Amino acid sequence: MNVFLAQQADRIELPAIDYAAILPMLIILGAACIGVLFEAFLPKHQRWPGQVVLTLLAIAAAGVALGAYVGGSPAEGTTTLSGTLSIDRPALFLWGTLLALALGAVLLIADRSIEPGGAFVAQAGIAPGTVQDRAQVGSTGMQTEVFPLALFALGGMMAFCSANDLLTMFIALEVLSLPLYLMCGLARRRRLLSQEAAVKYFLLGAFASAFFLYGLALLYGYAGSVKLADIANATAGTDRSDTLLFAGLGLLMVGLLFKGSVGPFHTWTPDVYQGAPTPVTAFMAACTKVAAFGGMLRVLTVAFESTSWEWRGVLWGVAIVSMLIGAVLGLTQTDVKRMIAYSSIAHAGFLLIGTMALTEDGLSGTLFYLLAYGFTTLAAFGVISLVRDSTGEATHLSAWAGLAKRSPLLAAVFTFLLLALAGIPLTSGFVGKFVVFSAALSDGMAPLVVIALVFSAVAAFFYLRVVVLMYFSEPAADGPTVSVPGAFTTAAITLGVAVTLLLGVLPAFALDWAGAGGFAIS
Amino acid sequence: MLTAIAAHFVLAAVLPLIARRWGRGAFVVGAVAPALTLVLAVSHADDALAARHPTETLAWAPGIGLEFTARFDELALLMILLVSGIGALVLCYYACYAKPGDRAVGRDSALLVLFAGSMLGLVLADDVISLYIFWELTTVCSFLLVGGDGLTKKLRKSATQALLVTSLGGLSMLLGLILLASASGTTRISEILADPPGGGVVPIAVVLILLGAFTKSAQVPFHPWLPGAMVAPTPVSAYLHAAAMVKAGVYLVARFAPAFSDLPAWWVPIVVLGLWTMVLGGFRALRQHDLKTLLAYGTISQLGFLMVLVGAGTWITALADVTLVLAHGLFKSALFLTVGIIDKRTGTRDIRELSGLGSRWPVLTAFATLAVLSMAGVPPLLGFVGKEAAIEGLLTGDPKDLALLAGVMLGSVFTVAYSLRFLVGAFGTRPTVAPTKAPPSGVAMTTMVGIPAVASLVLAFAPWIVEPVLAGYADTYPLPAPDYHLALWHGLTLPLLISAVIIAAGYAMYRASLAPKLAGWIPERMSAQNGYRAAVMGLDRGALSITGRLQAGSLPTYLGIILVTMVVLPGAGLLAGGPLSPTELRAWDSWMQLPLAVLVLAAAGTVVLARRRLTAVLLTGVVGYGIGALFIVDGGADLALAQFLVESLTLVVFVFVIRRFPPRFVDARPYFRRARWVKAGIAAVAGTFVAVLAVLYSGSRDGLPEASRFYIENAESATGASNVVNAIIVDFRAFDTIGEIAVLAVAATGAASLILARARQRPPSLAALDETDGTDETDGERTEVKR
Repeated sequence: MNVFLAQQADRIELPAIDYAAILPMLIILGAACIGVLFEAFLPKHQRWPGQVVLTLLAIAAAGVALGAYVGGSPAEGTTTLSGTLSIDRPALFLWGTLLALALGAVLLIADRSIEPGGAFVAQAGIAPGTVQDRAQVGSTGMQTEVFPLALFALGGMMAFCSANDLLTMFIALEVLSLPLYLMCGLARRRRLLSQEAAVKYFLLGAFASAFFLYGLALLYGYAGSVKLADIANATAGTDRSDTLLFAGLGLLMVGLLFKGSVGPFHTWTPDVYQGAPTPVTAFMAACTKVAAFGGMLRVLTVAFESTSWEWRGVLWGVAIVSMLIGAVLGLTQTDVKRMIAYSSIAHAGFLLIGTMALTEDGLSGTLFYLLAYGFTTLAAFGVISLVRDSTGEATHLSAWAGLAKRSPLLAAVFTFLLLALAGIPLTSGFVGKFVVFSAALSDGMAPLVVIALVFSAVAAFFYLRVVVLMYFSEPAADGPTVSVPGAFTTAAITLGVAVTLLLGVLPAFALDWAGAGGFAIS
Repeated sequence: MLTAIAAHFVLAAVLPLIARRWGRGAFVVGAVAPALTLVLAVSHADDALAARHPTETLAWAPGIGLEFTARFDELALLMILLVSGIGALVLCYYACYAKPGDRAVGRDSALLVLFAGSMLGLVLADDVISLYIFWELTTVCSFLLVGGDGLTKKLRKSATQALLVTSLGGLSMLLGLILLASASGTTRISEILADPPGGGVVPIAVVLILLGAFTKSAQVPFHPWLPGAMVAPTPVSAYLHAAAMVKAGVYLVARFAPAFSDLPAWWVPIVVLGLWTMVLGGFRALRQHDLKTLLAYGTISQLGFLMVLVGAGTWITALADVTLVLAHGLFKSALFLTVGIIDKRTGTRDIRELSGLGSRWPVLTAFATLAVLSMAGVPPLLGFVGKEAAIEGLLTGDPKDLALLAGVMLGSVFTVAYSLRFLVGAFGTRPTVAPTKAPPSGVAMTTMVGIPAVASLVLAFAPWIVEPVLAGYADTYPLPAPDYHLALWHGLTLPLLISAVIIAAGYAMYRASLAPKLAGWIPERMSAQNGYRAAVMGLDRGALSITGRLQAGSLPTYLGIILVTMVVLPGAGLLAGGPLSPTELRAWDSWMQLPLAVLVLAAAGTVVLARRRLTAVLLTGVVGYGIGALFIVDGGADLALAQFLVESLTLVVFVFVIRRFPPRFVDARPYFRRARWVKAGIAAVAGTFVAVLAVLYSGSRDGLPEASRFYIENAESATGASNVVNAIIVDFRAFDTIGEIAVLAVAATGAASLILARARQRPPSLAALDETDGTDETDGERTEVKR
């Protein structure tokens, strides 16, 4: 609107842009564009090194820019690009989390030592099962577009976390989703499964986006604006019909919950986690969850805080369903990747509890949980990518029997990660659950916390089952081998394990960062 | 104190390395930590007794109030005597018990020392979070020690059951502790106890805490894990499942009892389940042939007894309780270690196969007899002293206490009977069985049995050694201390008479071998083990069936779930929002709308029935053109034009794609099946819902938005255009239009190049086609948004 009014003046004034604040995002998106140019102009053999260097440099540079900005940033945050982006403390924390997680994920993506040529197919366009497809099995090239795609998705996620109006949020949602749909279909092995996953993700994701858009339209009808702060103002004055508000919020949340793989909008999660190449799964599981819950936190806190009594009951139900589905269905899984997928659904339920709290503790607790969960999951998928047999990754649980006898180190690392996911003390998972649950408890959600504790006990059961399987069973005669990880994967797993341990033993500093300030409301 | 705990953990970390070098000597090295702790604790006993209660705190995450706090008081001192004293003994014993060159030495020694450290932390912890952490650490150690190398199914099952039951209890305890802490505003246990909170949440909290204590101390109905855990090596059982870990539940109850002993939610479950456990455990012990399982049921029975005494909540019962905690730790560890010797030297623990050991091993027999007599409550042993105090404490004349006394007497009769069964079974001579051949019992191992057995005797004659500690705990109850002292001889009193009756009845029961005759008395369905099995299996089955229903891998199912939730969630919001402001609903504006609407609906309905792909695409096209025609009826010719354009473009792209597919859909099954009706129903409901929303939405707009008003007012004057839409597209939002055109051009170029590339280049690429579809769809959405 400001733009239209400004047109009446003689000159069109550009809105002020705080370049220092959005520099990290600009670096990522800019590097993504350069990556596309690399694809077009570099000879084939130079693309992989070029892309890897570019991507890692971009993430590092964005991290440096972020660090430089955080020091002098205003405590209450700032909005820029005529109020479409809000760069406040939670957004900065989420950006940092996203960048660090993406660094790990990109390292996994870039690894070419475990699978000759990497986990990605050389030419995605060839139909699986054809003569050409069989011919390309032997090739060691990979589709290097995956790097710019990852950067685009990352840029979208960063915008999503800091979007201050719903339209920007929708565009960021599409920017982060479309590359992910593509990346899911690029697996080198089991290509049909991978392509099926991509199609399912795309179709269901398109529906979710449509819901989001529809909800956005209803909310615009209600508030006359798509800005979160304006919606908040509109909900404060109560002479309007609440029907539009709640129908709109409901549809909007469907879209957001879908991205966060919260049950019952989780249906895509197991299939996609299983079908996608493991590094991409790691990227999705860690970063998408951070972005989705970051967005949800902002929407609920900034725009809908005053109506929380009305919608909280519904979200209670959603959180319970999510934990139920994640914990109970996880019990029957026989595939490691699917199991982690269900665990992510259960964790989404736990996260939702913190998201609902809408207090300072709830915000910082959820942010901490996201950081902790992201690194643990990232490292877990890194470990999964190492256990292989002749057909690729051996993800069936029976193949993991007795793994501790064959590779004690790997089994120990994976056990540690599973314990962190289960929330055993001295891991980051425990601290995360503790802060989220205590925030919920002090916000009067004791029954929900009781239910959450019960489900975390059920979920712990299936993590422990894997531990028992690895340590207390005889290894199968033709079981999988454990690949010696290359430098990239080792770095990624080490990063994840170190952070999981560090946040478990010394969580104070990260909690301080997470609790440094609230959302900028303007 | 914190240093001592840390020393255990550090030692546990290096023990595997030591074991690699020195073999089973590692156990002796491991024993150093608990032994030093014991010395340290005893030498600082004055601090605990003089009510100075030194406290140490280590900040962990001060921001969220997480810290480790250790507090040294009477109860902690008593537990350290057991935990560290028995711990050191058992570790030394294990050094002889383990086979030379056993590979499990490093693991077991490290875990035992880790366990000793965790147990030490547990009894010292003064804040609820550290308490919980150490609590779960002991659970995990127990799991790993019971599971061993996990080679047999029995090992794995027992270990898992112990873990599941106790960790479930642990979680409930955590919740109870947190509720209690939030009710009283502090996480310090000593502060909670000093000023116990009241209110509605406290009964819930204490019941949750009790659940943790009951699972850990193997009370009915959670008891089956303890006999199952007897598959562990005997020293482990002696330490974890007799002396230390199972006492954690009793310790927890004893810790909180001074504050809550008046609360019915606290004492009723304790005494009911405690008595039940005491009687049932004693009864089951009479039917066992395996010495170790016999002792395990004996332990269950004794733990029930200890619970009852805490629940009774008087000064003397509290004193009796802690006395018996000490006595039980001493005699039960001695007996377990005895069983270990028997098992190791003879290769069996079955009392039907043992005979004549009493004459072969007189010294060991003497020690074991002391321990058994202490267990049976026969003078002059510590068990008798404790039981005397217990009976004295229950003889208050209160009907509740009398009922408890009756139950305790019955349980004690069973205890005497199974004690005799153990003693005679292990060391007696059976005429029908050939004397068991066995090498000497071994000086070192026999000494380890002797130390706790003789201590039971010595402490009975000199209870003043430990009485300050025990009475110090009883003093923490908010009750006046009566003039009662622990002693072997109080004169000819009623308790003495009752003790005599119990012993006589127990002997008679043993002689009459009554229990085996009653063996089939407990119906199988009542068995708690079946309950556990049914719960675990039920969870597994339930999960499987839900997975089968929900996660079928079918896209329509997934979409159906999302659609249903979509209808339910905002639908609920719609209803919650109350009635809409009434808006004027008209059936139609122009009669032309009616046939067009029917056409669109008919096309949408038939498209799902189409068998040929091309038909389906054309019918979809009809829907789009119909919408376009509706635009014309409303006078939006330009919009209609855009719609027709997009529709035609989509159709062309579709045709290019469909060229590559077989002409018909693969699914040739009949149209009207049950599954289809469900899908059709969901689709219809979702579609109707969206349509209703659209009507409501457009009906409840209040006037034109600011932007629209601005455009309409200024269109003519600022741009000279009489058509507002034209003014917006080419003037007000010209930059947007340029962007839109650019996007369209890029998309079109992309689509064209894909199609042309396919013509030039084999192989055809399917993924590329997917991409084309995606681009097109977003374009469509974009147009809609702009509208």
